[in-house]
Amino acid sequence: MSPRRGFRHPGSFGSSLPERGLLLLVLIVLLQGSLLPFGAASSPDVGHRDEADVHAEAEEKHNFTKKPFPVLSFEYKHIQVPFEISLWVLLASLMKLGFHLIPRLPGIVPESCLLILVGLLVGGLIKLAGQKVPPVLDSNLFFFCLLPPIILDAGYFLPIRPFMENLGTILMFAVVGTLWNAFFIGGLLYAVCQIQPNNPSDLHSLELLPCLLFGSIISAVDPVAVLAVFEEIHINELLHILVFGESLLNDAVTVVLYHLFEEYSGVGSVTVIDGVLGVISFFVVALGGVLVGAIYGILAAFTSRFTSHTRVIEPLFVFVYSYMAYLSAEMFHLSGIMALIACGAVMRPYVEANISHKSHTTIKYFLKMWSSVSETLIFIFLGVATVDGQHNWNWTFVTVTVVLCLVARVIGVVGLTYVINKFRIVKLTTKDQFIVAYGGLRGAIAFSLGFLLDKRHFPLRNMFLTAIIIVIFFTVFVQGMTIKPLVDLLAVKKKQEAKRSINEEIHTQFLDHLLTGIEDICGHYGHHHWKDKLNRFNKKYVKKCLIAGERSKEPQLIAFYHKLEMKHAIELVESGGGAKLSSAIPSTVSMQNIQPKKPAPAKPEDRVLPKLSKSREEEIRKILRSNLQKTRQRLRSYNRHTLLADPYEDNFGEFLLKKQKMMALDKKIQDMNNYLTVPAAPPDSPTLCRARLASDPQAYSMKPALDSVPTIQVDLASPQSPDSVNILDEFQRSEQAAAAEEGEDDGGLMMKAPTRPHERCNAGEMDAGTREKLSRCLSDPGPHAEDEDEDEPFLP
Amino acid sequence: MGSRASTLLREEEIEEIKKETGFSHSQITRLYSRFTSLDKGENGTLSREDFQRIPELAINPLGDRIINAFFPEGEDQVNFRGFMRTLAHFRPIEDSEKNKNTSTSEPLNSRTNKLLFAFRLYDLDRDDKISRDELLQVLRMMVGVNISDEQLGSIADRTIQEADTNGDSSISFNEFIKVLEKVDVEQKMSIRFLH
Repeated sequence: MSPRRGFRHPGSFGSSLPERGLLLLVLIVLLQGSLLPFGAASSPDVGHRDEADVHAEAEEKHNFTKKPFPVLSFEYKHIQVPFEISLWVLLASLMKLGFHLIPRLPGIVPESCLLILVGLLVGGLIKLAGQKVPPVLDSNLFFFCLLPPIILDAGYFLPIRPFMENLGTILMFAVVGTLWNAFFIGGLLYAVCQIQPNNPSDLHSLELLPCLLFGSIISAVDPVAVLAVFEEIHINELLHILVFGESLLNDAVTVVLYHLFEEYSGVGSVTVIDGVLGVISFFVVALGGVLVGAIYGILAAFTSRFTSHTRVIEPLFVFVYSYMAYLSAEMFHLSGIMALIACGAVMRPYVEANISHKSHTTIKYFLKMWSSVSETLIFIFLGVATVDGQHNWNWTFVTVTVVLCLVARVIGVVGLTYVINKFRIVKLTTKDQFIVAYGGLRGAIAFSLGFLLDKRHFPLRNMFLTAIIIVIFFTVFVQGMTIKPLVDLLAVKKKQEAKRSINEEIHTQFLDHLLTGIEDICGHYGHHHWKDKLNRFNKKYVKKCLIAGERSKEPQLIAFYHKLEMKHAIELVESGGGAKLSSAIPSTVSMQNIQPKKPAPAKPEDRVLPKLSKSREEEIRKILRSNLQKTRQRLRSYNRHTLLADPYEDNFGEFLLKKQKMMALDKKIQDMNNYLTVPAAPPDSPTLCRARLASDPQAYSMKPALDSVPTIQVDLASPQSPDSVNILDEFQRSEQAAAAEEGEDDGGLMMKAPTRPHERCNAGEMDAGTREKLSRCLSDPGPHAEDEDEDEPFLP
Repeated sequence: MGSRASTLLREEEIEEIKKETGFSHSQITRLYSRFTSLDKGENGTLSREDFQRIPELAINPLGDRIINAFFPEGEDQVNFRGFMRTLAHFRPIEDSEKNKNTSTSEPLNSRTNKLLFAFRLYDLDRDDKISRDELLQVLRMMVGVNISDEQLGSIADRTIQEADTNGDSSISFNEFIKVLEKVDVEQKMSIRFLH
């Protein structure tokens, strides 16, 4: 979008920021005033050092008096820019911290409001100190640095399914709604201005086109503001995706309208041809943006296919490709926001199948971090820019604008919903409509667009800016603060916190197939039919190209299941982790109470661990140690660039090797059953699986009397800290089935369901997949690493 | 619509179907023309082969089960009434119907009946329980041939364990309903029969 590019001289950012930043530092850390030689450095500037030319030597000889060598010197200018940037970021982050420390504030006032207030405060302070307030909300800075992380975060984590299901509704709101808003506000504003008496107030001179331009700037719902406010109210998914999707997709409309009116308000008239061209331009901008984003997304997915050897830079590809998608779209004056969303949404399923778990976490946290900081900065800068701006306050204009915004939004939403509900299966209720209308917040994008207006073409630019700021403040403060109580008051459905269970996943897929079949029987090429076709195409061609290795054939259900298991296993380790690490000594109690952190409503079992008597442990341990093989622990040299190899990708051969070892071990265990003086555990069902801890995997667990309770027995009695988990692969189980006695078991981490007669143990959860993943998480070798029983090829 | 179609579907029949299933007049006629186009034997009923001729159904993993759902117990032919009765489960629930209290028996497309239809597709032996084996069969159909039995078994175990509240290692209809309470079944199991 041309307005967003080449705005000011690029050097403006640096040279126009005075020592204000230093002043801020003083205020914050209470430095002595004597440390502020404004503008004067006591030592020669670094930059000038090169200019000691030969022919200037003569002058220098005169000027150059011998000074004592400066031991400690102060020079601000050459670090000024990065220093001030860092200072702003630090301020933003500290503010964010601070808000959450104040007890009840975050519940009442949304963060965005507080941040704007902080910005106002800082701006005020700077002004008081007599310094010039920097133009922080510089449009280049905003559109190239502050906005992309937020949009990328939104796009990457966009819930595709609800988005696609409601795409029609979202597009209606985004396109038709924004158009309606723009024309309604612009037109009525013009009417109001015309009826103003032709007095010194310059309202009368406002033409139609500038009004429409203003209308198009102010009409767009802002994704940043919506995200900031809706994050905190936890509204149900449908409403969230409607308002949020609308805020993202209306970018294309805004771009086209803005361009159109800006171009032609100089000329003063818009013809029909221009209108038609505008419509065509809209399609080009929107679809072109999506196309550019999709291309980059596919490139990123393809690149990620080959990153198995250089895991450390995987997140980088995601970020860089997305940013380039944004910039490329901007280059062609297409919608950068839509490109970014398309890129993130397209690349995500493939990239996530290819990258390691750690990269996945990295990407997630980096995106959240950047978008959080960006958002904070944007709101603070809004406050600062308000203080700084040259305002042209005009009561009529401002109040009419605010009123019109609200009215237009309400009428638009109600009207559109009436039409949309004819086509929806699940209709939007009045409550929903209210929330959608009320959630139409304006934000910094509107301000930046207004900021970009050229004063020569728009003499009333300052008036526009003032009105925009007031509208933003109104929506963020009034609407932002009251939406939460209103949501509670109206008893709008909230977001369901529980995670998706495997049941839901299976049944949802089942229903998808069912519905596709029924649609085919009816001969009705509906929603499910096309989705099914797309899925088939995806599975057949696209996944093969973009996903590395075996994962490309993995059905979605299996992938989901693995993810679920892994999450579960990580939680288990985390909740038991504290206890585990503290007991590397044999004499400590080996059974701990492990309470899973999540409430786990669907799980009927509690995990309670009984104690194991120490003497028994010792006995068992002695027996085991004397009988079990010990394999050599492979040591790896440390290299900064290597990460833990991804066990999922190791070749199958290693599995077979381990399987054989496991079989041998198990035979031994069965023999040793005879040596036990403790009653053997009641036979478990053949599908018992367990994870073994490294050192003494065969520590015998004491079956407690509490048979009614599923137990997790963490045997920490081993001399080594049992931090690595042996992979027990699933073939093991068939071996167990053949075993007559299932009594023993292993120690280490084992999960059992209550041993009711027909019960399958919930160790179904801890199958091979989990254990692999578990090993991925546990990375410390025990102190006696060389004593470990099993090879841990993937752990150093 | 050919004249053949209109002579075979009488007004009274349309009225009856309307009352029973809640479809509108135009929907019924539209579906009737689809029915006749599928009915290659032109005898007013559909057999399994007629369904199997639909190409997309052949690649649907649940194709056979869906076809079976149309045929009542033990029969090999389904007439138009039966066809409509089955399809009625997928009619979108209208707001007006939501508010009606259940003084009469529930309409075919109520949430419970929709779920019952889906449940019956899992539960082939009609013992009102989805056993582990039945679940395994469905999983195997949906997942394909590349996944090992053990892995599938553990998924099935986990599924049953999550849903099973009364401890009988199978999923009863009530447990099935409970598990899907967060899923928007009214939307998921509805097809918009556009005019």
